Amino acid sequence: MISADSREPVPTEAARSSLSSTGQATFDLALRMGGLFLAIVLVALLMFVLKPNSFNVDVGISVLRAMSSVAIMSLGLTLVIVVGEIDLSFGAMYGLGANSLAVMWILLGIPIYAALPLAIGVGAIVGLFNGALVTWLSIPSFIVTLGSYNLLYGVSLWITKTSTFNPIYPPPGSELPPAELDFFTGLTASFGSHPISLEVVWMLGLALVVGFLLHRTLFGFRLMAIGGNPVAAQLARLPVTRYKILAFVICGMLAATAGILDFSFIQTTQPNIGLSYTFPVFAAVIIGGASLSGGKGTVIGAMSGALLLAELQQGLALLSPGPHVQQLFLGFVTIGAVALDLALTNIRKRRAA
Amino acid sequence: MNGAVEGIRLRGLHKRYGATVALAGVDLDIRPGEVLGIAGPNGAGKSTLVRIIAGEERADAGELLFNGRPWTPADDWRAVAVVHQEPQLFPNLSVAENVLVGREGTRAGRPRLGPADAKVMKAFGIDRFANAPLAACTLATQQRAEIARAVARDAQVFLFDEPNSALTDEESNELFREIHKLAAGGRIVLLVTHRLGDLNEHAGRVAVIRDGRVRAILEGDALTEDGIAEQLVVGRGAETGAKSGAAIDRGRSALVAIDDWSHGTAFRHVSLSARPGEIIALVGVEGSGARELLRSFAGLESCSGTIAIAGEKGDAAQRLSAYVPATRTLSLYSNFSVGENLLVRLGKPEIAGLGLALKKKRMRQLANEAIRRFSIRAHAVSQGVRSLSGGNQQKVAIAQALNCAPRLLLLEEPTRGVDIHSKREIYRLLRDYVRAGNTAIMFCTEVLEVYEAVDRAHVVVDGRLSRPIVVSDYAHIEALATDIARMQRHRGDDGVGASARSSRSQ
Repeated sequence: MISADSREPVPTEAARSSLSSTGQATFDLALRMGGLFLAIVLVALLMFVLKPNSFNVDVGISVLRAMSSVAIMSLGLTLVIVVGEIDLSFGAMYGLGANSLAVMWILLGIPIYAALPLAIGVGAIVGLFNGALVTWLSIPSFIVTLGSYNLLYGVSLWITKTSTFNPIYPPPGSELPPAELDFFTGLTASFGSHPISLEVVWMLGLALVVGFLLHRTLFGFRLMAIGGNPVAAQLARLPVTRYKILAFVICGMLAATAGILDFSFIQTTQPNIGLSYTFPVFAAVIIGGASLSGGKGTVIGAMSGALLLAELQQGLALLSPGPHVQQLFLGFVTIGAVALDLALTNIRKRRAA
Repeated sequence: MNGAVEGIRLRGLHKRYGATVALAGVDLDIRPGEVLGIAGPNGAGKSTLVRIIAGEERADAGELLFNGRPWTPADDWRAVAVVHQEPQLFPNLSVAENVLVGREGTRAGRPRLGPADAKVMKAFGIDRFANAPLAACTLATQQRAEIARAVARDAQVFLFDEPNSALTDEESNELFREIHKLAAGGRIVLLVTHRLGDLNEHAGRVAVIRDGRVRAILEGDALTEDGIAEQLVVGRGAETGAKSGAAIDRGRSALVAIDDWSHGTAFRHVSLSARPGEIIALVGVEGSGARELLRSFAGLESCSGTIAIAGEKGDAAQRLSAYVPATRTLSLYSNFSVGENLLVRLGKPEIAGLGLALKKKRMRQLANEAIRRFSIRAHAVSQGVRSLSGGNQQKVAIAQALNCAPRLLLLEEPTRGVDIHSKREIYRLLRDYVRAGNTAIMFCTEVLEVYEAVDRAHVVVDGRLSRPIVVSDYAHIEALATDIARMQRHRGDDGVGASARSSRSQ
């Protein structure tokens, strides 16, 4: 082997520039992120003008808390979308994560310290199930996860016997050790002078981990490659099957985690929780610039998408112009973001041609 | 040709794609009632010409006349029918519905087959499949449906583009009977194919296209397979690649040994061995089994027999080979930069370290080295790979495979659609690679490629390998072209060597 260091030539312009982001794509990403940032600031300003009284730090913190479960799920969905697949089941997995924890801990009396990792393990098993059907049986992921969405909701209804759980008021006959209860509620306890929930910290930590995974490891590099050109990846003997399954597994685990954290914060769980998160999470990922055709997507984008949605949601709740406005906004923002993306891509292509 | 108002007349057709000139002034008369063959090496402008006549592209300059009047095929699409190797039909509809599609009329009811359509389908022998879904029919029947569909809408111009490469001999004979019937009915028929035998047998005249112009029209006694083969390569191969038989280490044992290698349908009992320093070509038309043979070496077809690379077998042998697919869409990642494309086949420990963390600095360094080593013309490693020229994209595709240090490189038509300059650089790159003690095997359809890049060629006919052709025995490409054409014709070894001897005595 030649020792590369001793022979390293004077770095050229090319050598110094970043490898991963193409010059134009960086520009696009900057525009995209800039646009998102601008939208986030504009919405905040609008709120300030319309409702100066309720514009304060506590509202800001509540926005962060409100976005966290959507954001955590959008991290997992980003991985699945980057590898060129779809997951529709994470919302139901969120519910199953919380409900299976409730059943194991409150009903079966398994200590929280074991029940918690077990519930996250359920997420991993569901991801394995999705991924295995998608890769080994070549069933389109849309269909597999549409099916597992219903399966998971069914399992949630079944194991909870359609009942609601609250660890502070456990059903008669079961008793929870106070230490375990403290541990569980402590997961999302608030701290600081302007109380901020630990859930926000979990969200940021997970975002850092997934961001590192996607943008700084071989795993993420190959996920992008597989999503960009699955046939080429197969021909180049990249571990396509394994990586696709892994993406589903991580997505399932993150969805379970989001469900458990929300359960800890809200302290109640119902069989149908999480189902309504499916579309907001997709919207966050897509607003963040991920492409449904695979090979494109960033963690910072998904996080910003989730932030914008939470901001709109909280803002509109304060302004209370009626429930329809929030839905209209969600629709407009999702379509608008993708339309903007396509327009930018077309402009760039025309300039290149 | 003053009175020739009948038929299609092309004058001075020009077409360029960016910096690449595809057509540089094509003049051609196509008369009704004849089968006109079109031959030309890849990249000569053949397919561009077909696309212009089919109305899929517009010429930049030049004149198209149909029966004496200016003609725009794009607006008059009903007049033209293109029959590809793969029928461009609706597999989910029945055969009859396929014949109808596009002429459903505006009635509110479900369109039905008229008596005229039924007659056409009977004439093509597909009436008994009328209600079968197209996807359930054989390829030959699908092609008939495509022809019938065009006849039913009264198309006047029929372009056959490699129509019989996936057909059996019998099906292909029947297809040519239909082709002759179309011509006899006063229609204009073009036949584009690499199969010189078919051109010789079925075309009244053959136009040979090279470098974007019609260079020769062969008819009568001049129209022979050897004649076409020579016309395809004439004036080429003046500069041979950096070739030298001396680089082949004849003393050393074989690097690659393939023994009794058989496939379900495409080929049987193939044995081949290759020494370090050798570039070997498998030459064959589509359907000969040559392409499948090359892909099977890369582990992409299930085969029986043994393949050993540097003494290793099975998975270990697989890891010592790398495969470059025929089209760049199968090897490049459009969402990636040039640099990422170059490194995508690498893993731990080359570009990733502890905890699979990418070594970003090392990656930049490796990417820059690869760009220099493979003379890829890019502003920066971070440039999008799609913004490179076709030739440079192809270099990236090959460099990507070479980056994982294989001992055996497998390539499918490595310079297809690549400009002459990049072509030469790719040949040099391959030569450098084998000189370092490796072997390359490529699937070729072009004699020119064999002549310029290869040490030894095997012609594949009906899944069998011919005797080796040692390219350095040939002083002239014409002689090599003749021999390869003969071996493709005779499916055996007779005929080889005759031109080689005569070319050496010249």
